[in-house]
Amino acid sequence: MFRSLQARYMLIILTALILIQAGYVLLSITMSFGMNVEPVVSASQVERDWHEEAGGLAEGSPAEISDLFARWQARYPAASMFWVDADGVLREQTVGREGREGDLPAQWTAVSTAQFIKERYNGDPFTVIAFVGVGSGGFVVIELPRSTFDPPIQQVYDQFGTWLGIGMVVIVVLFILISYLFFRRIRKRLMQLQEAMSIRDVDGLPVIIGLSGKDEIGSLERSFNDMVVELKESKRREQQEEQLRRELIANLSHDLRTPLTKIRAQAYTIGKAEVSEEARRAIEALERSVVNLDRLIDNLMSYTLLMANRYTYNPQDTDIVRLVKEHLATWYPLFEKEGIEVDVDLQLLRQHVWQIDPIWMGRVLDNLYQNVLRHAKSGRYIKVATASLELHDAVIIADRGPGMRNGQSEERGAGIGLSIVDRMLRGMDLDWDMQFDERGTTIVIKRQRKQAA
Amino acid sequence: MATSGEIATGVKGEGMVSILYIEDELEIGEWVTKDLMERGYQVTWLTSGEQAEQHARQADVAVLDVMLPGLDGFSVGKRLKREAPDLPILMLSARSAVEDKVEGLSFADDYLTKPFHPEELAARIEVLLRRTQKFEDVLTLKHLRIQLKNMQIVDTRTGEEIVLTGKQYHLFQYFLRHLNQILTKEQLYEAVWGEPYLEGDKTLMVHIRYLREKIEQDPADPQIIETIRGIGYRVRR
Repeated sequence: MFRSLQARYMLIILTALILIQAGYVLLSITMSFGMNVEPVVSASQVERDWHEEAGGLAEGSPAEISDLFARWQARYPAASMFWVDADGVLREQTVGREGREGDLPAQWTAVSTAQFIKERYNGDPFTVIAFVGVGSGGFVVIELPRSTFDPPIQQVYDQFGTWLGIGMVVIVVLFILISYLFFRRIRKRLMQLQEAMSIRDVDGLPVIIGLSGKDEIGSLERSFNDMVVELKESKRREQQEEQLRRELIANLSHDLRTPLTKIRAQAYTIGKAEVSEEARRAIEALERSVVNLDRLIDNLMSYTLLMANRYTYNPQDTDIVRLVKEHLATWYPLFEKEGIEVDVDLQLLRQHVWQIDPIWMGRVLDNLYQNVLRHAKSGRYIKVATASLELHDAVIIADRGPGMRNGQSEERGAGIGLSIVDRMLRGMDLDWDMQFDERGTTIVIKRQRKQAA
Repeated sequence: MATSGEIATGVKGEGMVSILYIEDELEIGEWVTKDLMERGYQVTWLTSGEQAEQHARQADVAVLDVMLPGLDGFSVGKRLKREAPDLPILMLSARSAVEDKVEGLSFADDYLTKPFHPEELAARIEVLLRRTQKFEDVLTLKHLRIQLKNMQIVDTRTGEEIVLTGKQYHLFQYFLRHLNQILTKEQLYEAVWGEPYLEGDKTLMVHIRYLREKIEQDPADPQIIETIRGIGYRVRR
């Protein structure tokens, strides 16, 4: 029933309220039974009763007066009374007055009587003066604290106010303490949960965490664990698919390239023998076809992986000028062999460290250089440069060949190599454009310069 | 005599380089074995990797196909490296994915994809052998004769030995290990000095000038250490 944190906290609030109410009830009961709390009486009733009883005394003997005082003292313990006889002599006063004897004259005159009445009029204590019998016995005076006529709750406040205050403070402090402990425990569990959630397994996924209860946090932990299980299952499936894909590509690659290797082997063997010029040209064409087919297979597979976002991408800070230079160094002998002049102008860039995948950039450059060899060989020129433009840092590859667009090259192809270039450059957040004119083709790979923070 | 799974071996002559070649495709295996033997290598060709470890100690270089029946080429290569850690291994595979190349190069020394040209295969084998100095002992570059084992350089015109200083020696040795390759200034500086190259630093150029003064016939027109403008330098055979 109290598994819910909300229910538990409501229970704490309810308990606090009940304790306060119970305190009041307890005090009321204590007041009624154990404490000296006078019953409720009205001033007019006291006045009427005092007159009636004093007037009912026959001659006002000391014994009668003492008896009257004793009865009223029993009824109102806080009351004090005194008797002045017909001669104005202060004859008797109750114990409660003894400490204040000095404030009453021993011999009463008309003036002192009038002064007494004036002092007590509408004052505290509540004072009633009544004649004894028909007046020949003098008068008796009763003094009652005005608090006698207060309602009981007022009396409780007056008598037990301090304790009540202390009790309230204790209850409030207790409530705050219990609330603090309650929330501290919740906070501690949430912190532990947060810490547990941030732990990663070897596969990079969160680990299953222990359940700390059956409340809302426990439910959260269960849901988290369910999510972890689903994530692990999803990761396992993904790895399985990845493995299948890799095997499929590896097998396809093997099945396609093995016969190509055999064709090349045969062509090479035939080429070593004495053959006619026509046969030699055929063998050279066969060699070129093998190379092109191999490149096409490679491009197709790469393109398929790129389209499926399965081509491994590991961006890292890369010195683009150095990468272009080192990559060009591997291509230089090929250009040299084909009689292509290589014009290198690799300038320092304003921002030469690019956040790119060097393997991807290497692949882009491979495809672009391959294009130069395939489509612009006749121009016998390639320029590889880096330059800082107005807003961009750029890698520029230019040739003087007829290019793909003019359709004069031997092999036009489907442009899959450039599709890969486009997709990879966009994947690395780089712009590029290709311009054709009668002088040749210029490709500019651009990276917008970042503003200094 | 051929053992189980062994298709062909040549008789190893004195000073012959021995190649352990594992390939399950008969046509390719025959072709490569024949071509390598014609180039003067002694070849042990196996069609599966099970017996490979027995031949590891006798081989100077191993050429492995990846997709083999039974144990794949990666596993065979790792076993060979355990058996003979100094044995250079070249993976020869139809698998061209980056992941495959990375896996292969985690233990192998080179990775060549099919369809390959036999010239390229032979060149790569030569590089591997040169790296482990199992190839030739003496290298001739123009007018220089170089004993690779002790890096003794002799000018064949005068018969005098050319003595290089420490940095010149390391620089020239690095060129010889990467014959025919274009090396950038950054690569050379970092390999010889072991520190990152700072653009504009003239140290390398100065050392190359001194080196040329010692080894070139005409330092103003260098024939051994070629300058590849805008990229770096190259020593070609």
